[in-house]
Amino acid sequence: MKDETSQIEQRVKRYWYTDGIGELMGGGMFLLLGLYFSAQQYLGDQSFVGGLLQSGFVVIFIGGVFLGRWLVNVLKARVTYPRTGYVEYRANTGNTILMRVLAAVVAMTVAMASIFVARKFDMIDAIVAVSGVIVAIILIVKQGWSFGVGRFYFLSAASLVFGGILSVSGFARGYNLGMFYGLMGIAFAVSGGLTLKRYLRENPLPAESANE
Amino acid sequence: MSDDLRGLNDLDRLIHEPARLLIVTILSTVESADFLFLQRETGLTKGNLSAHLSKLEDAGYIKIEKTFKGKLPLTVCKLTAKGQKAYAGYRQQIQAFMDKTG
Repeated sequence: MKDETSQIEQRVKRYWYTDGIGELMGGGMFLLLGLYFSAQQYLGDQSFVGGLLQSGFVVIFIGGVFLGRWLVNVLKARVTYPRTGYVEYRANTGNTILMRVLAAVVAMTVAMASIFVARKFDMIDAIVAVSGVIVAIILIVKQGWSFGVGRFYFLSAASLVFGGILSVSGFARGYNLGMFYGLMGIAFAVSGGLTLKRYLRENPLPAESANE
Repeated sequence: MSDDLRGLNDLDRLIHEPARLLIVTILSTVESADFLFLQRETGLTKGNLSAHLSKLEDAGYIKIEKTFKGKLPLTVCKLTAKGQKAYAGYRQQIQAFMDKTG
């Protein structure tokens, strides 16, 4: 019975990822970061707009996250809930929060170790390589939480490949980071777009509401 | 009849019915879910699902609310504290029976 309950629980949790909307928004966030780093590199620190961009990073990032969440909710209300139903998930439990803190600590440790090694040997653009590793770790952990959504493994591999290649590309750091996040944004958008396309094909809008 | 089997007589029959057990199990994993989601997950017809939900609501195990998500009307179901307790008790009984009978 425990196994069956756990299977039902996993299926219900996977439902959040069934439409690809979250990934599309994630792709949008990555593209925004890509544009930010590229623009910063292009404008430089000395220009007024460049300085404004640098000091406004936190505002842009947090604003993007809130806008993304709002858009996900709006799109799910329009696309997903009328087709396959509405689910409100429970707030994170203490265990989930602890897991996330642990994952953040692991990611930070890997990042610090990577920076140390990269600086010592002065071989690579450490920041972009570290970004690739951190994003890959976050995606693998996310995959674990999402109970078997396999496409996160591909996105994780893409992050490692993009980070690895760009770290030895020789471009300026801002463009490197811009390209890394831009490529990840495209990968997420493609993954989310294909998932959404399949979801819409498999779940046409019911002729009448099933909510009785 | 052995004591092990006799223990099954005490099972909450309202939850023990397969369709209602599925509904309660789904609702135990989320904060709330709407009629359409439950219908898709359980594979029940609208009438059948309505009947089972009514029984669970009458017993005080679930709460049904008509609400809106944006402009979309939803019939949202939520497991009550009484329902959670009943479901936990049911699981314990089944687990104890499984442990005893191996």
